[in-house]
Amino acid sequence: MIYLQLAIEFFKIGVLSFGGGYATIPFLYHLSQEYCWYSIEELTNMIAVASITPGPVGINVATYAGLKTSGILGAMTATVLEMLPSLILVLVVAKLLKKFSDNFYVKTIIETLKPVSCALLLSVAINLIKPELKDIKAMLLLSILLILSWRTKKDPLFYILISAIIGVGLSLM
Amino acid sequence: MQKISLFKLFLIFVKIGAILLGGGYVILPILMNEFVERRNLISQDELLNYFALSQSLPGIIAANISMFVGYKLLGKRGSLIAMLGIITIPFLTIILLASIIESFTENLYIQSVFWGVGIAVIALIMLTVKEMWQKANKNLFFYIIFIASLFSLVLLNFSPSKTFLIFIIIGVIYKRITTPMEAR
Repeated sequence: MIYLQLAIEFFKIGVLSFGGGYATIPFLYHLSQEYCWYSIEELTNMIAVASITPGPVGINVATYAGLKTSGILGAMTATVLEMLPSLILVLVVAKLLKKFSDNFYVKTIIETLKPVSCALLLSVAINLIKPELKDIKAMLLLSILLILSWRTKKDPLFYILISAIIGVGLSLM
Repeated sequence: MQKISLFKLFLIFVKIGAILLGGGYVILPILMNEFVERRNLISQDELLNYFALSQSLPGIIAANISMFVGYKLLGKRGSLIAMLGIITIPFLTIILLASIIESFTENLYIQSVFWGVGIAVIALIMLTVKEMWQKANKNLFFYIIFIASLFSLVLLNFSPSKTFLIFIIIGVIYKRITTPMEAR
């Protein structure tokens, strides 16, 4: 039963996450609230692990969440089901490229999804920042990262490495 | 343009899945190198077109563009193989490494690494918002939907899928009313 739930939830993520790997995070937070498959704290650690292991973060974190929920079979279910909508869409889009992008409903849906995705990601950022607000070190690090990215966005790995190093550095002080 | 075997294609995507770290945006130069420069299997314009399409489709961008490339080279089988290839290494690493890393979560250094990475993830999410914001076509429709959906998510605590569903319906109704028949 849990596999079916897992399959449905990750299929939904695959359909609705716009903006790449980090866009799947809001859904994973929602899952932790709705099903108690893992705690928010565990999820935060999972995202950290997913960010420093090879592979796109969206795939890693799906595998990890599935693994946490119901072992290797769960990991497989979550990963493949999250990819399935993309696979279907890619096949359809690659075939009907012109027709697809000219369709009124397709255009409208994509146009609507963009502002909602922006809002969704922003709401997760707000939720993540809330518990850190009193932590001066965290706020300082976040400001430094945002200032560093102000003009040009560097590779995500750059921010992750710098933050990991600063984290260890601070703990030694 | 040359041909490529299904197995070879699988191996290339396994390799790409292993190189990618963090976000999927680095995949474009890697694909450019593998398929345009080294093997001449696909043109640069096609690849850029797929990259743009991959960003406007839901899902993991790196996986989307890989599946487009797979489809272009070997059809449906190709896109399935590209998908399986790209998830192989991430899948194995998480299965093998997760339990090991977790057994160290009490360790002070690992905790501080996680603390730092946690902050970096917040920054990366904010940067994703910034990027999407800059790329979006910001008309009145965009602002209204943005503010209303932010309100529903933060203050009314709507679930992500419920929010999408509601606003897609609102969006379609709004556009149907405001767009004249001929322009649809």
